[in-house]
Amino acid sequence: MELPAFASLAHVRILLLPVGNIRRSTFDNWASEIRSIESIPLGDIPTESKDERARFMPNPLASGHIHLSYQSHPPASVHNALALFRPSDFPLGVVGIASCSHSDSISTTLASFKSTVKDVSLHKAAFPVSTNCFVFEEGDANLDLGDRFPGLVVIPSMMANKRVHISTLLAGLCSHILGDFATVMQSLESPLGNEHLNASLFPSLPSAGELPRSLDPESAQRDSLPPLPSFNSQPDLGVNGSAKPKTSAFQKRMSSGPGLIPSRTASLPSTPTSAAAKKRPNLIGAASSHGRLFKVLADLFLLAGRHADSQIWYTEAIALFKGSPHDTAWHAAALEGLATIPVIEAWSSGNATANGIDDKQEPWQDIVDKLTQATTLYHRSTPHSEPDRSYPLLAYLYSQSVIRHTSLLFAIWSAKGWGPHAFGKMVHPGLNPYLPSSSASTKASYADLERLTTITGITRTQIAGILAQVHGPWLLHLAARERIGTLQTVAGMFGALGYLRKEAYILRELLGSIMDLIVCGREENSGARASGAGLGIRGTLVGSSSTTSGTVGVRENPRVEGNDSILRIIKHICRVHGVDIESVKLVDIGTLGTTATCNAADDAEEEDLSESPADPFGWPELQIGIIREAIAVAEALPDYPSVAQFSLSSLKTLHPVMSQSDQLHLYRTATRALTTAIRRGDRRTVEYWAGKPIVSIEMLPLPLIRLPIEKPLSLLARADEQTGVNTILTGAKDPFLYNPRKVASGQTQSVLVQNERFEVVMTLRNPFVFDLELESVALSTSGARIESEATSIIIPANTYHPVTMTGKAVEPGMLTIRGCVVQAPGGLPREYVLPLSTEEEEETRSWRRSAIESEAGRSKYAGLESRPWKRMSKRDSKQASKKVTVQFLECKVVPEQPLLRIRRTSLTHAAVMLYNGETSAIRLTLENVSSLPIDLIRLTFDDSTIAPAQQALADGELSVFETYETEYDLIHRPVFVWDGGRDTSRVDPGEKTTVSVKCVGKVGCTRGAIHVSYAYIHRHNETLGKPPDVFHTRLLSYPVIVTVYHMLECHAMDISPYSRITAFASIAEDDDSAAGQAQRALFDVENVADWCLFSVDVRNTYGSPFEVTFERREPGVSFLDCMSTTVLVPPGSTTRIVLPIKKILLSEERISQPIPTLSDRQFVVVKSNLSLAEERAQRELFWYREELFKAVRGRWRETGGMRSGELSLRQQRMTQPMLEALRTETARVQMSLIRYEDGKAIPIAVDPSGSKYLPPPNEFVCLRTRVINLSPGEMVLVANLSLEPAQHTIYQGVLSDIPVGRLAPGDSYETELPVAFLSRGRFDILAEIRSLNVSESSNPVGRGDLRAVVDEDFS
Amino acid sequence: MSHHLFLLSPSDTPLYSLTHFSSKPAQTTTTSPLASNLPSWSTSAFAGTLTALSGATSATQAYHAQGGTVRMGGGQDRHVIQMIANASLDVIEEIVRKDNLMYLKSVDKFNEWTVSAFVTPGNMKFVLLHEARNDDGIKSFFHEVWELYVKTMLNPFHTAHTPIRSPVFDARVRASAKKHL
Repeated sequence: MELPAFASLAHVRILLLPVGNIRRSTFDNWASEIRSIESIPLGDIPTESKDERARFMPNPLASGHIHLSYQSHPPASVHNALALFRPSDFPLGVVGIASCSHSDSISTTLASFKSTVKDVSLHKAAFPVSTNCFVFEEGDANLDLGDRFPGLVVIPSMMANKRVHISTLLAGLCSHILGDFATVMQSLESPLGNEHLNASLFPSLPSAGELPRSLDPESAQRDSLPPLPSFNSQPDLGVNGSAKPKTSAFQKRMSSGPGLIPSRTASLPSTPTSAAAKKRPNLIGAASSHGRLFKVLADLFLLAGRHADSQIWYTEAIALFKGSPHDTAWHAAALEGLATIPVIEAWSSGNATANGIDDKQEPWQDIVDKLTQATTLYHRSTPHSEPDRSYPLLAYLYSQSVIRHTSLLFAIWSAKGWGPHAFGKMVHPGLNPYLPSSSASTKASYADLERLTTITGITRTQIAGILAQVHGPWLLHLAARERIGTLQTVAGMFGALGYLRKEAYILRELLGSIMDLIVCGREENSGARASGAGLGIRGTLVGSSSTTSGTVGVRENPRVEGNDSILRIIKHICRVHGVDIESVKLVDIGTLGTTATCNAADDAEEEDLSESPADPFGWPELQIGIIREAIAVAEALPDYPSVAQFSLSSLKTLHPVMSQSDQLHLYRTATRALTTAIRRGDRRTVEYWAGKPIVSIEMLPLPLIRLPIEKPLSLLARADEQTGVNTILTGAKDPFLYNPRKVASGQTQSVLVQNERFEVVMTLRNPFVFDLELESVALSTSGARIESEATSIIIPANTYHPVTMTGKAVEPGMLTIRGCVVQAPGGLPREYVLPLSTEEEEETRSWRRSAIESEAGRSKYAGLESRPWKRMSKRDSKQASKKVTVQFLECKVVPEQPLLRIRRTSLTHAAVMLYNGETSAIRLTLENVSSLPIDLIRLTFDDSTIAPAQQALADGELSVFETYETEYDLIHRPVFVWDGGRDTSRVDPGEKTTVSVKCVGKVGCTRGAIHVSYAYIHRHNETLGKPPDVFHTRLLSYPVIVTVYHMLECHAMDISPYSRITAFASIAEDDDSAAGQAQRALFDVENVADWCLFSVDVRNTYGSPFEVTFERREPGVSFLDCMSTTVLVPPGSTTRIVLPIKKILLSEERISQPIPTLSDRQFVVVKSNLSLAEERAQRELFWYREELFKAVRGRWRETGGMRSGELSLRQQRMTQPMLEALRTETARVQMSLIRYEDGKAIPIAVDPSGSKYLPPPNEFVCLRTRVINLSPGEMVLVANLSLEPAQHTIYQGVLSDIPVGRLAPGDSYETELPVAFLSRGRFDILAEIRSLNVSESSNPVGRGDLRAVVDEDFS
Repeated sequence: MSHHLFLLSPSDTPLYSLTHFSSKPAQTTTTSPLASNLPSWSTSAFAGTLTALSGATSATQAYHAQGGTVRMGGGQDRHVIQMIANASLDVIEEIVRKDNLMYLKSVDKFNEWTVSAFVTPGNMKFVLLHEARNDDGIKSFFHEVWELYVKTMLNPFHTAHTPIRSPVFDARVRASAKKHL
């Protein structure tokens, strides 16, 4: 509905009608051509000669205009009552537009035009209507009609300037209309007519026939509508008895001027007073005042463009209306008319200062005053009669008046002042007067709006204040069309003023009105149909599903035009209230084939939105109310995708402030709507809406037996030569305390295997209070291709929910897991990426979060400026966010790998029970269960003793000696040893192989593990590219529980010089058994001085007896045929084992070596602060001990059983005396006692054990001391002898520093000393040999001793 | 005669609202005869339909209820009151930008309501919907509310966007309303 312009009171309204068969485009084309003629100069109006019709004709030289406005719709019939009150609201002329190509059809065109006009005016057209029909020629048709069809004009297509022609035709029409005015006026000027005029508030024109003495003019008129032609033809106007005004007018015309300007003088008195004076007596017979009559007259003059006349009569009328309580509305209308005149005149003159005004007031102040008064009057006016009909009309007039008032100010304001532009806006506003005119799309900024205010001096508040008056309960009086029109105008003005909230308020009402009509209309339709069908389910509100008779459902195609506009209004309202109802986009399925991808920045933004502390905008109660309304409207239209969009968007944006039931309701609504939309084949659907669901993503590591371990190929080449000692000792520990490379590679990639399944755990989040259903969740990956199935899941309300996704990589390479692709039911899939939370990323995020945090709670921008999306755009956290490269979870997919499994083992329950030192064999049978062969098998072992030892080594607190012991233990006595060797056995698919492992019982070992590494290395190279320099092994572990019983322990190892006594004591003389003989053989040594005795205590702490055997190995003889001693050690007892062993002498170079470390550790810091001598002593101890353990070996055997093992002596320590005993002396001293008889030396008797000499007392015997140099170098020696007890001996010569002289290696020197033993008893003779050429000659290089017992009597 | 007070944060979120029914007799405002004798809105089909469709009770009746025949007392739709308060922010914002007054007397009129407002330096807006003129009373009422509000804001955990739920604040505002309105 076009709302009237400010100057609508001065507009002659013309109805444009399509006639006959005319295409819409053609009609629109010609209609716009006609519409462009907005005003016709008065001078162009042809004046008719007929006197009575010439009353409103313009002066020939008049300079005014008749303003035209065009309509395509006839006015609402309810407004017919206003016909006299406001003639400008009614079409005074009808122009039919037809298009013709044949002359034959002209007559039919005319006929149809006439019938159309009749139809249109069928309801009581209160005013005479002039008609004309324009027939536009089409193509090259040449219609030459002549004057055959009156009221029909053909406009040839040949005509060049149609506009001029049309303008002329319109001028003719106007002339006709003006003639009609006179006719109407004539009928009203009669006393009867005047009575009629005053009969009711909104009187109707008395019909010519009914005019006299009709008792009930209203009903009569309504019932008997006079046909149009009667008005046009005006047959009996003169007969009505209203001759007097006519004659008077005629007289006046005659009197005031002869012929030259008859029409002008006809109605214009020279002065108002004289006119009034002349009029009044004429109408004295009438009971009512003439105010209304004058007002109608003024209206008509205004329409006719004769403003001066109009102004005079308005003034007259107002004078009469004052004080008349029934005429408030008329009064107001007169004021409105009066207010219009200056504007029209200003427009005509095109000059702002056309009407003289004083400087104090604004030029429009006078008009404003009048209009204010008019508004007040309308507001006050009360219908006294027939209120039912009058209320709507009064309300209509009131709202029109307010809008007229507002539009005046608005036009001046928006046109930047009182000037031609403003006049143009007021007189010919165009189609959309209240939309921002300057720039079509962009919204005017605050500064722009304020600028207008500053220029014009009219504040927006002022305009809004006036405009707000229109709003009130009376709007309900209005008919639907007027209400919609009014609301539309009001909303438009508020919008143009920048009052968006008020606009939204009005728009909601507007929407209500429109939806009311839509729903009502639909119900009428479906109601009718349903009643016709009888059986059918009554058409529901959706309006498109109802049944016709029978059972077949018929679906109507809903008309969707206009829906978009309604939805746009809704969206606008919601945006004003801070709800982005389009935050979930609607997408056409057809236009978009692939899944929507998004970059990480979007996600981050979204995250910000969700994470940012609630800094809410808007009025939650209102927002929710508005959303509900929006959804209801969309449902009523119906537009299901929009319903879904609205519900989901509001869920997304508003869920923090929504109640549970609201959330549930919206979710259900959306689900339902989507289902319906899909069922109906709607092409649109919503994108994914439920926020970023994915919180974390992680790769589940492969099970250990499937995990491939990358190794460089070069390792294979090295493996053959290397013993693998290092790894065991150091535990493959890095030699550096801080290794930067290791840190860098800390985030190790997961390794996956081609064609094997892997699992990814995603944590999804549901922030809503309902269970969120996801139709599909799939992995989003790049890089190597994978096969992965999407699953559908339901995330419980308000929780984090872990989901395990499985996949299978089908080709080797790098696999990047970007995130997931989610899809809600009925929606579109969307990808959410989840970057790896690297340090940089975390930093950026925390920085952003803190920026948001610091911005939250501050309100730099208030009001609508602080709506969420505006806030986001202004935030500096957003502006400064820089693009960073994101990293994703990456995995390496390696080529297909073989798989082994343990088929069986020789162990039961994977447990081994051993005695300490016992060895047992374990056999593992492995089966290749893959389709690839295995060509490399390696075994590594682990046991519970390794780790503590490694730890002790790593700590470095051990002494050098202990370190060596520990290392020796680790390397030479491992718990497990691979028996099979290093043969690379090939295992073909499905085949089995066996590996055997030796297991040694070692005290302290509780468990161990056998690791089988295997690989398929020698692959067929499929591509010509460089073969990879790495290969992958897999590890099969077999844990073993080891139980070791500690049963025999050695302690108190000792080495003493070989003495006959000890040896003698060890041999059981009476034992003649084989063992005894063996024993004797063992102790039977040739040269006593070359031997020493090794002894050790063996204790049996176990519950069963064991046989312990110690063997000695002589150099160059194998253990097999070496001497041994075997002892049975009963439970709980300790047995000492004695074994003679040969003395050892190690070369100086050997001894001077430091104690070796078996590992290659780099930083072995000597921590000991021993002196050189001590260090040397320690080395000697070490090396001799090592030599000893090479020579002596202990074994045990279970008595009466098969089990046997080794007995380790490694626990035993060696001391300095033991070393002295073991080491071969540098200089050997052999001492003997001899007696010379007759110059012949006779040895002194020796006791049976051979350890004691039995010399005679008091007799000189010779002590022969023989010194042999056994060292590799020559030495200068001296000997010291001592005799104890010295006081009972007599000797000849010296005892100390007996020179021996220089002895070459192997040379010997003998010296003799005569000695006499003077008493009974035991004598010990000691000899010490010292070297002279060795600087530190503190220690003797050799010792000798001799024991003599004198037990004979001194007789 | 009722008054409706809303404390609005700079982002238009209500932090506190109060409906006060004054014991003072309602001044007979000049009602337009146009506002009488309205057609009953229940004949309007959409009102019922929309209400039923949306599943809401009050939200959709906004534009019908404002024309309701019951003008005084509890008959006013809360939603409409809120809409009016919200809409009046347009005018308040404009005036605040031009004048540096805190008390904006009768800044807007809509339907039967007059809107007075008080804007704190922190851009908090106190909006009061009232029907009769009572400038002095309203002014002193606003000042008291402001004082109470400032006391609330002294709480360091209270930001400009925190809803005020303090019962003390509520009681004092009510007392003040009783005194001045």
